[in-house]
Amino acid sequence: MILAHIHPGTAAGPGLWEIASAVGALLAAVAYGLAAGRLWRRGDAWPWWRPVSFTAGCTWVAWAGVGPLPGGPFTAHMTGHLLLGMAAPLLLVLARPLTLALRASPPGAARRGLLSLAHSRPARLLAHPLLAALLDAGGLWLLYRTDVYAHTHHRPLLHALVHAHVLAAGLLFTFAVCQVDPVRHRRPPALRGVALLAAGVAHAVLAKTLYATPPPGTAFTTTDLHTGSQVMYYGGDLVEAALGTVLAASWYRAAGRARTRHRRRRPEPALGR
Amino acid sequence: MNPPAHRHPDPLERPEPRRSMVVCGVLGAAVMAAVDEIVFHQILGWHHFYDRSTGRVGLLSDGLLHTGELLALVAGFFLYADLRRRGALVPAHAWAGLFLGLGAFQLFDGIVDHKLLRLHQVRYGVDIAPYDWAWNLAGVVLLLTGLLLARRAARPGRAARTT
Repeated sequence: MILAHIHPGTAAGPGLWEIASAVGALLAAVAYGLAAGRLWRRGDAWPWWRPVSFTAGCTWVAWAGVGPLPGGPFTAHMTGHLLLGMAAPLLLVLARPLTLALRASPPGAARRGLLSLAHSRPARLLAHPLLAALLDAGGLWLLYRTDVYAHTHHRPLLHALVHAHVLAAGLLFTFAVCQVDPVRHRRPPALRGVALLAAGVAHAVLAKTLYATPPPGTAFTTTDLHTGSQVMYYGGDLVEAALGTVLAASWYRAAGRARTRHRRRRPEPALGR
Repeated sequence: MNPPAHRHPDPLERPEPRRSMVVCGVLGAAVMAAVDEIVFHQILGWHHFYDRSTGRVGLLSDGLLHTGELLALVAGFFLYADLRRRGALVPAHAWAGLFLGLGAFQLFDGIVDHKLLRLHQVRYGVDIAPYDWAWNLAGVVLLLTGLLLARRAARPGRAARTT
């Protein structure tokens, strides 16, 4: 048993990887801002809240790496993961970075390459909502229900990899559920809802088991463990509700558009039954 | 709306009693689950977050119910808005569905969650019997109200008046 949990980010100050992730997040925000500026200068419409959302997402990513987080070691770790794996991905995905990249890049090889990458077979497969849910929630179960979590404490590289996986899987899952960026194969809302439900269930059950039993090879105080798992449970709820709202609202808008098209095609009086 | 739509009912604007009842039933169950979560878990603190006597099936069912409730609340709200937008909402059936959902969830929670799966009890450190009776009777009353409203909604005269 490891008696004290020494988080690389809190005990000895931020490590190399944490600083690198923060710098990366900052650079992404700057790149997004430049691209949005390019669209505005040429007179394209691009809502102001999207750069705000993207910058906020990048801030959370950086914060999860280097910022101070509240509570005991487990609670702080869980808060960081909630920011990195759920809150930040939602803010980043809603800002439609892929759409912006396609519109801001000059026509030619760069844009074609990006588009063919987005429409490629592996990307299509990876963005399947159920696979994305499995990668996201399955990764969490592996992290907290095997020795992986205990090992991350004295292996900075493994810690950084877990950090990167949480962000990447969160982004992929949010991307697959929301589908606000252009993808070739739109999945039906019901399928995306089922994926959201499945991931939410796996998340809630994991949080409840963590309340009772800590991850193997670790020892936290009971209060810390209880607070951390409740942060995971209720924090997860908040983001899942937000994801559900994005999904339901996009269905509502699409249904409204379909109805308008239907009415336009078939004038009412002639077809009344 | 165009005036002719009233003489020749638009196929897109037919009232949908069944759908009204189902959507409001989902909303009712989700609202009851949310009330349970907010009042008994958070405000009163009677229910426990985790009960040591919960088994694996219990935990899974709890997670499913909890996430399902959250998403049903969101989905139900948008489905309800869609029914209203299309003029397809039938109020009598909607009310019946709402009470059926409220009662069904309350009774399910009281019997399956508290007693069969032993997720948690209504309250701890007291004689539980009166609490269980009150809980389940409330569920029965809500469910019976829903059934009564559903019977009234199904009466032909009533349906003709609302449509």
